[in-house]
Amino acid sequence: MTSSDTILKRKRRSLILLLAPFTVMLSVFFLVPLGIMMVYSFLEPGLYGGVEWNWYPYNYGRIIGWPLNDYEEFEPIYLKIFLNSLQIAIMTVIGTFVICYPAAFWVSRMQGAKKNLALFMITLPFFANLLVRIYAWLLLLRPTGFFNTVLQSAGLIIEPLDLLFTNFSVIIGMVYILTPFMFLPIYANVEKLDYSMVRASQDLGANPLQTFRRVILPLTAPGIIGGSVIVFIPALGNFIVPSFLGGSKVQMTGNLIERSFLQSRDWPFGAALALLIMASVVVLVVFQLSRQAKAEARGVS
Amino acid sequence: MKRISTSKLATAAAALTLVAPMASAEGNLALYNWGEYINPEVIEKFSEEFDVEVTLDTYSTNEELLARLQAGATGYDLVWPSVHMHDIMQKTGLLQPSGVNKMPGFENIDPGSIRSKEDPNAEYCLPYAWGAVGIFYNKELIPELTSWQQFFDYAKENPGRVTMLDDLRETIGVGLIMNGNSVNSTDKDEIAAAEQFILEQKPNIGAFRYDILPLVTSGDMAASHWYVGAVLNANQNPDLLGFVVPEEGATMYQEDICLLASAPNPDNAKLFMQFMMRPDISALNTERLTNGSVNTAAIELLPEELKGHPAVNPPADVRAKLQIFDDLGKDLKLYTRSWDRIKTN
Repeated sequence: MTSSDTILKRKRRSLILLLAPFTVMLSVFFLVPLGIMMVYSFLEPGLYGGVEWNWYPYNYGRIIGWPLNDYEEFEPIYLKIFLNSLQIAIMTVIGTFVICYPAAFWVSRMQGAKKNLALFMITLPFFANLLVRIYAWLLLLRPTGFFNTVLQSAGLIIEPLDLLFTNFSVIIGMVYILTPFMFLPIYANVEKLDYSMVRASQDLGANPLQTFRRVILPLTAPGIIGGSVIVFIPALGNFIVPSFLGGSKVQMTGNLIERSFLQSRDWPFGAALALLIMASVVVLVVFQLSRQAKAEARGVS
Repeated sequence: MKRISTSKLATAAAALTLVAPMASAEGNLALYNWGEYINPEVIEKFSEEFDVEVTLDTYSTNEELLARLQAGATGYDLVWPSVHMHDIMQKTGLLQPSGVNKMPGFENIDPGSIRSKEDPNAEYCLPYAWGAVGIFYNKELIPELTSWQQFFDYAKENPGRVTMLDDLRETIGVGLIMNGNSVNSTDKDEIAAAEQFILEQKPNIGAFRYDILPLVTSGDMAASHWYVGAVLNANQNPDLLGFVVPEEGATMYQEDICLLASAPNPDNAKLFMQFMMRPDISALNTERLTNGSVNTAAIELLPEELKGHPAVNPPADVRAKLQIFDDLGKDLKLYTRSWDRIKTN
């Protein structure tokens, strides 16, 4: 009795010690800044950046229409920017998924060294600086760039296409930088896919489409959902790709927040925007996860 | 302001930064300047002559400078804010008087370049350099460009082949100039008209962007709203590239060298300000920046391609059409909201 007690105590103590660095880090570098942001979002913007310590809920009014005072007007454009960002983020998720899902099956069937090489190649882009990689896309997509030159010399087009500085180029850039984040969770899932299940469904007379829909897809769903969340969140907040490849004509919430803190000198508004986006992302993710949990519970019973 | 992407200066700056900032206190000077906005030879010469270890850090916008200093950054002696930011920094107590107007060499400084409203006698800061914001263009695509009207007409026929700056005051400023209004207007209707003007042009504008020198040089873009610093590139390749101050008028910028209230080495900083007023040093700096000079004695020493350049050293009638930004205080909101709408719609 006493010995098991001390073991339990010791276990608990070591657990606390092991978790302490992480907890401290999380609270210092995440919760404290989050708290500051939350407080700032309800304060009046200082004339030259910073804040005045006056209660000022109107930063939210500009975005969602309430509450408002004489000086702050409701601007539906902020919702429009958010919807546009949402659209780009969803397109990015779809784009990365289309590339990664088949590739994950292909890599998982490889053997030994070849497989390791393939996995290494997928993480390789991380070794180069992000800005350099985005800049490379600028060179590829510009009017005298690689794609236009090839298409023109092949006689397929006469005038160079407007590939750069469009929604299209932003999505390309996003898909490019976020592909590994989609690939790795899907791959982890696909690799441990139990092929006896697939064979069983074939033995029982399912056609390939049915096997895919009823067996493979549900078994790899956790990887797909995990990958989608990890791609969706950074895509929604990204401001480097739209400013480089979108020519700042494509505006995402990330750009707006950046500008609020610098050019506009309106920190509280930037903080309010960031918090609203975070809140909506959290709601989306929680909703998705609870649906998934329900579906799993049904699958088990 | 002048973002030239060659890395020579950056390397020099990095090398300078590495030079022992820990050396004896009387022999140090810490500069905090825009990227690519001082000739490294000037720093070397100062360093040799006075045996001072100089470090150089850089920022890329006035707001970044202000934000860092407000957040409590210390250790810097001299900063290079634009005139309206000089006013803000002086108002918020970040600066200390340097007495630069009593120093030998101040007689070389063009009295017209003392533009600060807070510092009308130059007791705090030394005017550094100024320049127009005009159009940098590729002559193969547009043989001769003279006006904003021509710029926008070209864009209409060739959508996506021109760029404007990703800066709310500059780009809305062009809209104000096209309607004949002041770039410091705080009139709601005037700003709305400028917004409308830029919005009408937006479908034809390829991008709002700073980093355009390689795109114009390669012919990907025909013309770009940019700073006079592009004359450095235009002069290296005069048959291909040009820079013009448009007929309708343009905005101009000017930076002043200011002594921070928290400066650890105020004596060396004052020495540096005095050094910068020497005509030969000022001219050496201008050759690299291809900016307008504030030093009347230095202008005489400039090579002809700069002294005679209508954008670098514009004649009086062009100068009269240049407008500088004032600090708008709370009314900046009118511009930021307008800019949000321009970017979104």
